[in-house]
Amino acid sequence: MIKPQYIISIILFFPLLLIQTTIVPLLAIDTVIPDLILILLVYYSITQGQIYGSVLGFVYGFLFDIITGSLIGSSMIAKTLAGFTAGYFSSENKQDQYLISYNFALIVLLSSLIDSTINAFFSSLNFTSNIFMLFFQHALLPAIYTASIALMGMIFYPKRKLF
Amino acid sequence: MIRFLVSIWQNFKEYIVLVILLIISLILLSQNNSQGIQKVRSIAFGTFASVTSVFTDIFNVSNLKNENENLRRTNAELMLQLSRLREYAIVNDELKGLLNLKDSSNFPLISATVVSKSLTKSQGTITLNAGKNQSVKVGMPVITDKGIVGIIYSISDNYSIARTLTNVDLKITVKNERSRENAIMKWNGDWLVMINVPKTYDIKKGDRIVTSEISSIIPFPLPVGVVYEIGNVEQGIFNEVKVQPFVDFQKVENVFILGLVKSKEIDQIEFNLLKSQ
Repeated sequence: MIKPQYIISIILFFPLLLIQTTIVPLLAIDTVIPDLILILLVYYSITQGQIYGSVLGFVYGFLFDIITGSLIGSSMIAKTLAGFTAGYFSSENKQDQYLISYNFALIVLLSSLIDSTINAFFSSLNFTSNIFMLFFQHALLPAIYTASIALMGMIFYPKRKLF
Repeated sequence: MIRFLVSIWQNFKEYIVLVILLIISLILLSQNNSQGIQKVRSIAFGTFASVTSVFTDIFNVSNLKNENENLRRTNAELMLQLSRLREYAIVNDELKGLLNLKDSSNFPLISATVVSKSLTKSQGTITLNAGKNQSVKVGMPVITDKGIVGIIYSISDNYSIARTLTNVDLKITVKNERSRENAIMKWNGDWLVMINVPKTYDIKKGDRIVTSEISSIIPFPLPVGVVYEIGNVEQGIFNEVKVQPFVDFQKVENVFILGLVKSKEIDQIEFNLLKSQ
């Protein structure tokens, strides 16, 4: 029996992708944009577990690649690993603790760092550039921005469950 | 065995799932250009894009979008118009110059347009849209309002090829307009140079160089260029004089072919002169 949570997590992807591709670019700080889909992925990975996080990352990545015209497989790998990493923090006992704003933001930062690094590898790798600058520009800055947005979002996170 | 596999699954299921998903991702990564993937992508992308465009329209003021589109179109059209007008202005100036030249000349002039150029370092040639049918003959000088461009050396019915002054195979007799000193001029690959100029010749930087009447090809003075530098050859009694041509061979587009048939008798004399250089 498929849990309603699973279906909702997939359905939520589409409006979020719509926002990600239309409104979020308006929030770009010198081409650095936050990744809202990753925030959703981390949330579900923490609440539903590591395997679910990995599979959801895989599905999100596939949908993202196929819809946005990215190299198919690049976001799949990145988001699968990000979901897997976020899933480490999935524990029924500590779930509420991890969903507290700053903890959640730190998990988002870690997952986003993995996601951005892999994406940067597929899209921006240039051996003539400084590898540390590449990491800083294409991985660390987007990760920090995404974590900041997550932090703001979790401040307004309702104490009771929405779904 | 089954129990062993179940225990492995129980202990490492997260990693097994991860590895399987990564392997699938890598397989898909290598299938990016396959027809199936492209088809799925085009459908997904097209569907999502249509939704996105509606979504975007809601956020945008609809009139603003249309106005922006119209302004961009107008801007592009004006840019094209401006570009065309600039081109007309350049051609107009050039043709005006050519008309002045035609009015001041008593020689038959055949107008022609450069249809192609081969301006290599040492073998500059231009192809003109005038040939046998327009009475063009080999050896006729090609000129613009600024001066001589070259000499016709090959013709077909409707086209001809001229060697420009920037061709190492073309040598012409020139003279200093001020001091009336004559010399042979040729292209050395970098510069037009008057060769074997005696050091006693009165030549100064900035002197105008024109074609010489002693040439059977061009029987009256046509501007060639100005003296740019007088090279002092240390050994010997001759100098090399660099000449800056009046004509920009890279930009020449409309020309006249001077309808002169050279005298074979005089040509023979000149040939002997060149041979002796």
